[in-house]
Amino acid sequence: MKLLDVRQLHLQFQEVNDQVLSNISFSIDQGERLLLLGPSGCGKSTLTYGINGIYPRELDGTMTGDIQFRGNSVASYAPGEMSQHVGVVFQDPESQFCMITVEDEIAFGLENIHTPVERISSRIDHVLQLVGLEGARQRSIQTLSGGQKQKLALACVLAMEPELLILDEPTANLDPIATRDFIQTIQALQEEKGFALLVIEHQLDGWVSFIERGVMMNRSGELVYDGPIRDWMNRHKSALQCQGISMPAVTQLAMEKEWLDQCSHFPLTVSDVITGWRGSKEQITFPPEPRGSHSTSTILQLSSISWMKRKSRIISDVSLKIRKGEFIAMVGENGSGKTSLSRVMAGLQKPTKGNISFLGKPLSSWKEIDVRKHIGYVFQNPEHQLITDTVYEEIAFSLRVQGIEEYKVDQQVREVLDICQLNGMEERHPYTLSQGQKRRLSVASMIVDHQELLILDEPTFGQDAQSTEQLMTLLAQRQEKGATIVMVTHDMELVDKYADRVLVINKGEVVADGHPHKLWCDDGLARWQLNYPVRIQLQQQVEREGLYVSS
Amino acid sequence: MFLHKLNPSIKALTVIVAVIGLALIFDPITPLLFSIWTIVFTFLFGKVNIKYYLLFLLPFMIISLGMLWTTIAFSDAPEHPAQTIHLLLWEIPEEDIVAALSLVFRMFAFATLSLLFIFTTDMVHFILSLMQQCKLPPKLAYGVLAGYRFLPLMKDEFNQIQEAHQVRGVKRTKKVRESIKQYRRFMIPLLAGAIRKAERTAVAMESKGFTGEKDRNFYRRFTVKSIDWIFLIVTLTALIAIAYVSNVLGYFSWYNGQF
Repeated sequence: MKLLDVRQLHLQFQEVNDQVLSNISFSIDQGERLLLLGPSGCGKSTLTYGINGIYPRELDGTMTGDIQFRGNSVASYAPGEMSQHVGVVFQDPESQFCMITVEDEIAFGLENIHTPVERISSRIDHVLQLVGLEGARQRSIQTLSGGQKQKLALACVLAMEPELLILDEPTANLDPIATRDFIQTIQALQEEKGFALLVIEHQLDGWVSFIERGVMMNRSGELVYDGPIRDWMNRHKSALQCQGISMPAVTQLAMEKEWLDQCSHFPLTVSDVITGWRGSKEQITFPPEPRGSHSTSTILQLSSISWMKRKSRIISDVSLKIRKGEFIAMVGENGSGKTSLSRVMAGLQKPTKGNISFLGKPLSSWKEIDVRKHIGYVFQNPEHQLITDTVYEEIAFSLRVQGIEEYKVDQQVREVLDICQLNGMEERHPYTLSQGQKRRLSVASMIVDHQELLILDEPTFGQDAQSTEQLMTLLAQRQEKGATIVMVTHDMELVDKYADRVLVINKGEVVADGHPHKLWCDDGLARWQLNYPVRIQLQQQVEREGLYVSS
Repeated sequence: MFLHKLNPSIKALTVIVAVIGLALIFDPITPLLFSIWTIVFTFLFGKVNIKYYLLFLLPFMIISLGMLWTTIAFSDAPEHPAQTIHLLLWEIPEEDIVAALSLVFRMFAFATLSLLFIFTTDMVHFILSLMQQCKLPPKLAYGVLAGYRFLPLMKDEFNQIQEAHQVRGVKRTKKVRESIKQYRRFMIPLLAGAIRKAERTAVAMESKGFTGEKDRNFYRRFTVKSIDWIFLIVTLTALIAIAYVSNVLGYFSWYNGQF
């Protein structure tokens, strides 16, 4: 008998013309692993609600078709009963808890399903140990890192011993190391416990190493494929990017370099490339493209900057010069002080000690309104930046604040709309845009004044492959026009491809500063919780194997 | 500490009964003595940071002084204008002073009672106890708990939105109309974010099997022990004893519609 069987599912919300899900059919066997792929907003999460029985009970709309669990329709289970069979870990680590401490949160689920009180305590210890959070039992949830919160969410669900575990983009808000760690935890647990696993994702990195079967959805909520992931990607490789699905970085690299013919099978991981390589191994490695250095005039200078927050030191004694026209990437683990440093640079946060000078003048002596004409700051969450009711007004806002004449405002806004590919959306409400469009709009509002220094806090966070590409092209264009760019990021592929200087931040200090290619020569990036880009991973692996062969 | 270990619901009940008792009495001595008793009790049997305690008490003090002044300044014509008291440079009818002090000390007593509760009770425990002892519906209780978790998040978000305006060159205005407009702009993204978060939390709670049904097991069990009732009785006995002392001193009077 199938564990889960979804049959001809159609789902439509009230007041929306198009169906969110149309004719979805697939099934999962006991203990099976399945990756459900689709672009953001294609109805993947909606499907989750159907599977755990929240829809159609809480649905404003219509749902037809049938979802069966162990041969019985999900709708026939009593409210709350499905939670003992199907557990879900959601995307946002902030909003899936309702209690204050770790143990209370795990106990909450167990209380719901009437677990005898005497057994709750030992169950809490057991699941905390499973996910590697021993010792965090009494801690307040707020003090956990993003990765730990997702592990706690996992622990809460595991405590209820589900037969099917659904993960809904569980790593979307985590940094690369936390992501890798989370995926490894899942893999080990699945192998140990043997529950069925359904991972909902729009990016493949990490999962493809242990999940073979994939179900693909397109933007209109239709199922377009069900079978081995590798075959499907091989067939549709060029269309994937437009579908908003991020391929593994190594696959992208292989396609860019036209290596597919040299590989015996379609590569999804670094070791796929190495083991399936037909030609000589040296061909896999390639020299970096040289990127020229820029002018030597300094635009922003920090001298021995420190910043304390509630008596703890977030930034300690940072001195550096930012030169005109540089593309700087700031990397480091979560909580290392990258964002704080970027805020100090932008004049949003006054340092406790030290001086900042912008264009030769102390930043503190600049008038706020003049600083903003020169320095643009793009926040991590684009929605925090949107403050008016239409796209046009959003871009025109800072010009209006300065009291610039209307015809000039219009001219500048049109120009920026064009650059950011937002034409035709002038009258839309910013909140109705897609994630990618929102992001470009937030950048648009920061370049409308021709700001020469642009500081961005993880601008590619939560963006799909296509909008990341568009955003980076936009930034590269700004740099060509002479703008200086400082970008906080976790994505080492972007650092390798675009940055011409990288700052590694660790515990509030700049521990490395130089060209990215120099950084890749350092073999201890792991001590700062950093990854190498796939290009370097390949090279390292080839070198290691080369040594092995020659000996 | 003893006060922290009491059942939160019974502690709340005690405070409420004491407040009602005090509200029925209108003289300066009873609430004054009772406030002193409450403060001594709080520090003897509770672990309370004296600095924070004074900080919380400060606004009540300021309002009390304001009330003292206004009650004296705007009082009715006294019945016995001959009995007066010299206060600084003024000569004030004794009746007015007594009435004003009664009001002020009564408020002070309410404040110290509330602080006794606030400083020795965990919010989460209070709600869990309300569910277990007072049959508060779980739907409401867990809703409040989830909202309680959101408060610090909302504050962070508010700061971020404020900064988003700052990077656009918006100055913080002092004009009333402008700042209302600014706050309106702040509120929309803040509320939109809150609604979305609330929905996500609701879905997460439901998928953990929460249905809101009243019959549930509690991992953290709160029970009413004899010590809780003793606390209630001791507090009320203290109030009655103090009222008696005040009667002996000749101050005691019931509240009958003054002010």
